[in-house]
Amino acid sequence: MTTQLGGSAAKGRGAVSKCGSAAGRDQPRRRSTRKTAYRDTASGRSFVARRLLLGGAQTLAVVLLVFALTEALPGDAAVALAGDQPDPARIAAIREAMDLDRPAPERLADWAAGMLHGDFGTSLTSGRPVTQYITDAFGPTLLLAALTLALLVPLGFGLGVLAARHEGRLVDRLVSSVTLAVYAVPEFALGVLLVTVLALKLAWLPPTAVGYGTELLGHPAALVLPVLVLLARPVCSLSRLVRAGMVDALASPYAAHARRYGVPGARVRYAHALPNALAPAVQQLARTVDWLLCGVIVVEALFVIPGLGTVLLNAVAERDVPVVQGLAVVFGVLTVLLNLGADLVAYRLTPRAGVAA
Amino acid sequence: MSRATQAAVAEIRDLRVEVDGRALVDGVHLRVHPGKVTALVGASGSGKTTTGLALLGEYPAGAQVTGEVRRPGDGPVGYVPQHPAAVLNPARRVSALLDDIARPQVRHLPRAERREAARALVLRALEDAQLPDGEVLLSRYPHQLSGGQQQRVVLAQALLLGARVIVADEPTTGQDALTKSRIVEQLAAVAARGIAVVLLSHDLDVVRALADEVLVMREGRVVESGPVERLWTTPRHEWTRRLLDDQRAAPPDATAAEAGRPVLEVRDLTAVHDRRTVVLRAPHLALHPGECVAVVGRSGSGKTTLARCLAGLHSDHDGDILLDGTPLARSLRRRDRSQLAAVQYVFQDARAAFDEHRPVLRQVARTAVRLRGIDERAATAEASTTLHRLGLSERLAHRRPGELSGGELQRAALARALLARPRVLICDEVTSGLDTVTRRGILDVLSGLVGEEGDLSLVLVTHDLDTARLARRVAVLDAGEIVEQGPTRQILTAPQHPFTIALMRTTERLETGTRL
Amino acid sequence: MTAYRRFALGLTVVAVPLVLALLGPLFAGDAGPRAVSFTLGGGHWLGTDFVGRDVWRQVLLGGRTVVLTALAATALAYLVAVPVALVSALTRLRRLEELLMRPLDVLLAVPSLLLILLVASVFSPGAAGLALLVALVNVPDAARIVRAAAGEAAARPAVEALRMQGETWWRIAVGYVGRSALRTLAADAGIRLTGVLYLVSTAAFLGVGVAPDAADWAVMVDRNRTGLLVQPWAVVVPALLIVALTTGTNLLFDAALEKKGRRR
Repeated sequence: MTTQLGGSAAKGRGAVSKCGSAAGRDQPRRRSTRKTAYRDTASGRSFVARRLLLGGAQTLAVVLLVFALTEALPGDAAVALAGDQPDPARIAAIREAMDLDRPAPERLADWAAGMLHGDFGTSLTSGRPVTQYITDAFGPTLLLAALTLALLVPLGFGLGVLAARHEGRLVDRLVSSVTLAVYAVPEFALGVLLVTVLALKLAWLPPTAVGYGTELLGHPAALVLPVLVLLARPVCSLSRLVRAGMVDALASPYAAHARRYGVPGARVRYAHALPNALAPAVQQLARTVDWLLCGVIVVEALFVIPGLGTVLLNAVAERDVPVVQGLAVVFGVLTVLLNLGADLVAYRLTPRAGVAA
Repeated sequence: MSRATQAAVAEIRDLRVEVDGRALVDGVHLRVHPGKVTALVGASGSGKTTTGLALLGEYPAGAQVTGEVRRPGDGPVGYVPQHPAAVLNPARRVSALLDDIARPQVRHLPRAERREAARALVLRALEDAQLPDGEVLLSRYPHQLSGGQQQRVVLAQALLLGARVIVADEPTTGQDALTKSRIVEQLAAVAARGIAVVLLSHDLDVVRALADEVLVMREGRVVESGPVERLWTTPRHEWTRRLLDDQRAAPPDATAAEAGRPVLEVRDLTAVHDRRTVVLRAPHLALHPGECVAVVGRSGSGKTTLARCLAGLHSDHDGDILLDGTPLARSLRRRDRSQLAAVQYVFQDARAAFDEHRPVLRQVARTAVRLRGIDERAATAEASTTLHRLGLSERLAHRRPGELSGGELQRAALARALLARPRVLICDEVTSGLDTVTRRGILDVLSGLVGEEGDLSLVLVTHDLDTARLARRVAVLDAGEIVEQGPTRQILTAPQHPFTIALMRTTERLETGTRL
Repeated sequence: MTAYRRFALGLTVVAVPLVLALLGPLFAGDAGPRAVSFTLGGGHWLGTDFVGRDVWRQVLLGGRTVVLTALAATALAYLVAVPVALVSALTRLRRLEELLMRPLDVLLAVPSLLLILLVASVFSPGAAGLALLVALVNVPDAARIVRAAAGEAAARPAVEALRMQGETWWRIAVGYVGRSALRTLAADAGIRLTGVLYLVSTAAFLGVGVAPDAADWAVMVDRNRTGLLVQPWAVVVPALLIVALTTGTNLLFDAALEKKGRRR
């Protein structure tokens, strides 16, 4: 007998999903190829190599995209950017600041080279270096993101496992319905409602972080609402995914086999079933980064937190292109890196090649 | 009675399992004895698996159970399912469950010694299951093992558990003769250790080779039971007789070989996978009008690739495939309608080869519409006639594939190909995975085709020598090479190549097993 | 049983904002004279907003853009994604498949809201532009999911059997592979529509694709926040409507799919 996978694959055409590409947005991706293949070290290495290559391509694409968008401005970019204050001095200043007189490829090369050294250009409105904008605003955003992630993982997994353990019973129905309902709600709508009730009506928490500046850590009460709002969607999606994975795994023949041979319930759950629910969840975590980013922008605007999102929104409003570009690159590259990391972790967690990717 | 009860290590008395008012098994009595193999025989759906799982104390969801199941001191019962991969956790190494099974057995030891003692137990169980290089195996993931290794790992789990009864569910289904004989040896070795083996199978060769006691099941009831020799020599129940009769193969085709130009000819064929790996070399192969040729080999021998090359489904190859002397395009898309119609292909997995959304009849009729240009009505009428001739009623033909059984779908698939009025019909393992009675039915249809369809030529791709007996000539494939070809009778009685000899010998041993 | 109840619940929750959004403009009537900002009473059912307009009238007017933009964006995303996915699933040319799917993989890396803000900083997209943008952001993911479902169908022997029967590419692609992917597509459409609703309203909240004083629920939430203490209705009502719209859509599709799944 030779290679028979899973027992169900039609002969000679056993389709094994192989490594795909970027992290899945909502579901683990699958991509079938013709040949049955085992993951040996060589193919493992080639997956990592291909994934790294894709990450590189994505980084490059982000940079190009960000640059190309500003190139796509109709007519004279400087005039367009000056917007409703088209006095010649301002137009000239913009042209000067962005080197608009030089050909685009040269500017791209300069800009990209500058970024490698941490130089993101200077703001059109204030003349301050973009790097300074980023470093000033980095703290609050990092704090928000770190707090959210630190709570997200135990909450998401905990709720998911809890619901799966009690599948079909009250706890499960409760967790499932609440996560399903909250999952879709935009942060701003949830945020204002929570502010109205918890901050204004009940006065338990401060409604915004106005006045605390970047010293958020000293005022934990001001952080509760933002983190709560940020957590809402990712927790729902993660716990739903973990629940689905756990329910599948617990109903699988291998879990039944372990129970049949006297392995205790808790051990079947955590040592045998959970590992199978892990890989898709890790990828969902990466997807969550995208959401966190959207969420951070909204939450910072909502609670007036001086983080990167606020800087970005202000720059967008003022059409301060260098600042927008710089922040877009930072956000974009961060997303690419986190997705890359999650894919590699998921790959490690999924022994069979490609189920993860 | 009392003597037998004492000897039995597990017993089922008057078992009835009912789901939604329908009895899956009814009135089943079963006694298994240490060191003996008890076989449950019957077509799929006869209640074998339900009975076997009852020994494990497991029943289908929502089942109503009456009767009594007595297990060895309520001790563990081992289980080797049909697809061992399904019970191996894909995300954990092989060692994970084995360690968990061993752990309670070493609990009496001091904490420091437990790990090593457990590992020793695991390794011994693996060795008992004929997996000598256990250390290496333990750190592997299930998908990195061959199917045989997976089966032995599952067996090792049962041995490690100290099971005194092991239920083996269809362990040989879909396997070639060499693999089958290895599985038989293994189960015999298990029985020799004093373990009671309950074998659920529709493979009568294996049953005859292994079993001591046989229970013949039909529609949830045991129609006959007794020692294997008695059952084989003097079957009492009519169903048993039919089951055993089905086993007899059709005699080799005796018509004289036709000379003249072959309808299909293969010259210097070299097929590759992934643009690199050569998977098949066939210097010369010819198929004459009205002839039936069997291509025999184990799984992975390249026989399916050969069939797919002929049909134009595997275009990654060099060399020529000639139809009536004219080269055929390598890919389907470059073959014209008449060439497409001339060489038709029937897939192994009939269910997967049909569109699940549309009625079978309409799908079958499309062949005539597309390949012979006749109008929809005439095509449907013809499809209906052909389906009827192959034993599929009008009522069934109007259903969707999901409502038909595997055997019925395979008949429909044959009809679909026949509607092209092909010169050559390639059948890829069309009977594997079917139970004996269904398989016999399909084989009868096939042998009928060669006779009645004028000069239709048949290529039977199979791992099953019993099916190959239908053919006039046999080509034996091993590791991508045609190692031997010739008249069926000659190959079956006087094989030349060592591989063919080995294949024949194991098949014979299986067939004659306990008869000797 | 519970699926039916959930279906009914979803329907009820989504009905209020949906009816308001689609029929509201018909009953909005003429804009009355502007009153003082953020007042309650004075003939204004829900008070007045930040520039003294009647909140109830704004509520009646403000749902249509969100709903229509979201629907258009979802439809547009599939209009591009489905053909791309089908072709790449069925082609035997690796190059073509790579050419179609690789750029989408790269695009997947860019966070959706970021891309929208980036474009907004340069152009000033209107509602149509926003729909286009949101559609674009959704194409890679939609294509990937349809591609996976279609790829599974395309790898089945049924496709080879159809080719053996001499069926045309169209019939195989649309009649079989496309049809097999339909279930996945339906499941995805529900999730996607909720996601699109989220993006459209969040973008509007951040001021993309809408005028600063537009009659739009999300814009109302943003603009009237300053008067939250004095006149909460101008914020709470539109916020609740958006919550009902997104949650209801999600519940509805989830229950519908589960029901369908059970029947099969």
